[in-house]
Amino acid sequence: MAAVAGAAYVLYLDLLVIHQFEGRRWTLPAQVFAAPLELYAGLPLSESEVGHELERLHYRKVAQLDRPGTYRVNGARIDVALRPARFADESRDAQLLSISAGSQGIEALKDAAGHEVPVIRLEPLLIGSIFPSHGEDRIVLTPREVPPLLPAALKAVEDRRFDSHRGVDPQAILRALWVDARARQIEQGGSTLTQQLVRSYFLSTRQTLGRKIREAIMAIALDARFTKDDLMNAYINEIFLGQDGNRAIHGFGLASQFYFGKPLSELDLSEIALLVAVVRGPSYYDPRRHADRVLARRNLVLKELADQHVVGAPEAAAAARRPLGVTPRPAGAYYPAYLDFVRRTLRRDYRDQDLTEAGLSIYTSLDPRAQDAAERALDSELARLDRMKKRGSEAQALQGAVVVTAPQSGDVIAIVGGRDVGYDGFDRALDARRAMGSMVKPFVYLAALESGRYSAATIVQDEPVDLKLAGGQHWRPENFAHDTNGPVPVARALAESLNLATVGVGLDIGLPKVAETLQRFGLDRTPQQVPAMLLGAVDVTPLEAAQLYNGLANGGFRNPLRAVRAVIGTDGKALKAFQLQVTQVATPEAVYQLDRLLTLVMNRGTGRPARPLLPADLVVAGKTGTSSDFRDSWFAGFSGSNLTVVWVGYDDDAPTGLTGSAGALPVWARIMASLGGSSWNAPMPDGLVEMEIEYATGLRVLPGCSDDRVTVAVPAATQVAPKAGCGFPDSGNPVTTFIDRTQRWLHALVH
Amino acid sequence: MAARPRTLTGVAGGSALLAAVALAACASRGPVPPGLPGEVAVSGSEAGGGSPSSPSAPPPGAAPSRQFHLGPAANALVTQARTQAGGGEYAAAGATLERALRIEPDNPLLWVELGRVQMGEGNAGQADAMGRKALALATGDPTAQASAWRLIADSLHARGRTAEALEAEQRAAGLAPQ
Repeated sequence: MAAVAGAAYVLYLDLLVIHQFEGRRWTLPAQVFAAPLELYAGLPLSESEVGHELERLHYRKVAQLDRPGTYRVNGARIDVALRPARFADESRDAQLLSISAGSQGIEALKDAAGHEVPVIRLEPLLIGSIFPSHGEDRIVLTPREVPPLLPAALKAVEDRRFDSHRGVDPQAILRALWVDARARQIEQGGSTLTQQLVRSYFLSTRQTLGRKIREAIMAIALDARFTKDDLMNAYINEIFLGQDGNRAIHGFGLASQFYFGKPLSELDLSEIALLVAVVRGPSYYDPRRHADRVLARRNLVLKELADQHVVGAPEAAAAARRPLGVTPRPAGAYYPAYLDFVRRTLRRDYRDQDLTEAGLSIYTSLDPRAQDAAERALDSELARLDRMKKRGSEAQALQGAVVVTAPQSGDVIAIVGGRDVGYDGFDRALDARRAMGSMVKPFVYLAALESGRYSAATIVQDEPVDLKLAGGQHWRPENFAHDTNGPVPVARALAESLNLATVGVGLDIGLPKVAETLQRFGLDRTPQQVPAMLLGAVDVTPLEAAQLYNGLANGGFRNPLRAVRAVIGTDGKALKAFQLQVTQVATPEAVYQLDRLLTLVMNRGTGRPARPLLPADLVVAGKTGTSSDFRDSWFAGFSGSNLTVVWVGYDDDAPTGLTGSAGALPVWARIMASLGGSSWNAPMPDGLVEMEIEYATGLRVLPGCSDDRVTVAVPAATQVAPKAGCGFPDSGNPVTTFIDRTQRWLHALVH
Repeated sequence: MAARPRTLTGVAGGSALLAAVALAACASRGPVPPGLPGEVAVSGSEAGGGSPSSPSAPPPGAAPSRQFHLGPAANALVTQARTQAGGGEYAAAGATLERALRIEPDNPLLWVELGRVQMGEGNAGQADAMGRKALALATGDPTAQASAWRLIADSLHARGRTAEALEAEQRAAGLAPQ
């Protein structure tokens, strides 16, 4: 009876472990890639910047190109042995590329035969994977992708009789027991690789005798069913090799990326020895925390390999002199906020299981250079603001979020969800929904320009507002400076973000029209149509703000902001492509007039403090936002190449004391300065003309008759009263009479 | 991807494509400055269209004239995209043109090209939007404007909006005779 029960138990364990083995082999988290860097003649990238980009992909600088993943600098020329690469739309074999760079950037690209290459991509950077909730992440390798040194080293160090034993190694167990008896604790030394594999499958770390027996039976069962090669490959892909927050690093393929940032096939002896050293205890032998301890064990591994003639003694000695070579930060886990957006995009179309198990490759728009710039700027500016404030009562640290896009394509190229970028927690860029403040005003004025009744030079009244609301209450908004400015041109009202003037314009245009304008530009809900909406009582996330402003940066064309370009299956076929889409949501004329006004914000208005931080010749357009009681500090603005939205505030919505100009603007300016890029330089649509007006009065002026001139774009037919004494050539003729009339009318209106 | 019943040129009528080919052919320049790699200001202000920092205002109704070209990188990608579209691989052609657009996002020729691929895919609505995007960028370049109008006309035809389509064709003809 006991024998039958025993046999049944063995059979049960056998089924269990076989099932596990066969099922597990195909569970592959989706891998997520950044946008590949396109190289072409004219790209403003210096020789050292090209080198930096290669280093980011963990290319190794060498004296002689010997294998893919290496490069050589030869004066102003860089020779690169490109790795084989897979992109969203095609695969490419390993190949040689020569890059000539000069002071203006890349001058020429040539292939191995010396032929000109017009354009070529570096392989995309792996930025993470979408692993299941139990946290296991891995990159699965086929036996061909594993350098032969690794299995040899594993056998030498962990399981010398792997090729001959039957799943358990009695000799090793006896030796281990003897060691254990003396040490009075259970060590792992007696376990074969097969036993370690079984232990990993069932996630059991407790070492009771019952479990040991169970483990041994399962190991024997596995050994009987599968070849040694299959078991070794399973081990290499399965074994736990590190922890990164809630992400467990499994398999040597991912561990190689995690510790060294490059494929396993490119590791040298010292690096392979390090990974073999880590197997014994990824926490105890964490190379980033316990470098000395790991170095000692790595060198022990190297000595063992030499002793067993896996490698030569001089080689091992040379490898032992090398530093650990581990990257300071784990590769593949840099960008949690961006990955969050990717995950949310994909969850609309894919089940969690597809993403965590089906081995998908996901190609995104992330630009690592822009992402790094955004992270650095937010971190350093918030630290500076925190130091500056120190108001005692404010114990908490300022928080912030950044979204950067390429407006014409709608590509989201960077997202920062908070200060602690390594922390995979509250993603403010996607989830912090806060009042827009004055960032809403461009949409009020756009609606006004679209009506045809307003232009940049139109005089509006910045005067006290007292509105009786539906509930009988009065709404009496004020300007930021608690002042009134009387008649001002639209250009100044927007540049200085005058609340009272804006409320007047918005009420004239109508709340429904303003709300509709926001929705046309991508707000996915109807804002509450109360007068306070005109001053930004509309809650949006930084990502939503970026969607709204992207249409302004893109000449009145809306494109759905996208992080994911394509999803590719294990067979290399595209499962889904997120193609570029545009929809015209406003006339180019209206948007052009508005965008010109937004450049004045930067030169004359609330955006002015950014100027010293930006390249002098970079033309940018943008708008500040400050919500009531300084709870939210916003800035949204664009050049010709990039739109960046920055939010700064406290997580608990406490007042920060910061305006948009003081908080978000310097972050924005630092990001835009590092991104470089081209000026905002949209072509002026036919039917518009440039006109010089006096900033304070809105009167038309000529150069020389006012030192307070600004240039605006207005419809060609626009009549603007000239400033008296400016000597307009038509003086005395009937036009002047008309203009004089207008001036008198204006004067009457003002006083 | 399902089989496509129509070829790229079958729908496009070919004219605008030919115009774009002619333009692409004249692209043979050295390193290009960042920002506007494919744009050459033939005359008018240096900034080529009302840069806010530009001191000189063009006279009303006369935008500075210029002619768009493709830089070598974009040109190579357009050639590749045409091969892909010719073989019915519209998705691949679109992806290739998006690469070109990331290099020269302000070049109307590329938007017309991408709109042609959308037409090939049977997506006349997107083709129209891309034509209008091209038009907004093409100010001052009658040839590029004409290509954009022809794309818009084809997309209107495809949606049965014949009167508007004829109007668009007339605009194209008025800008640059075929």
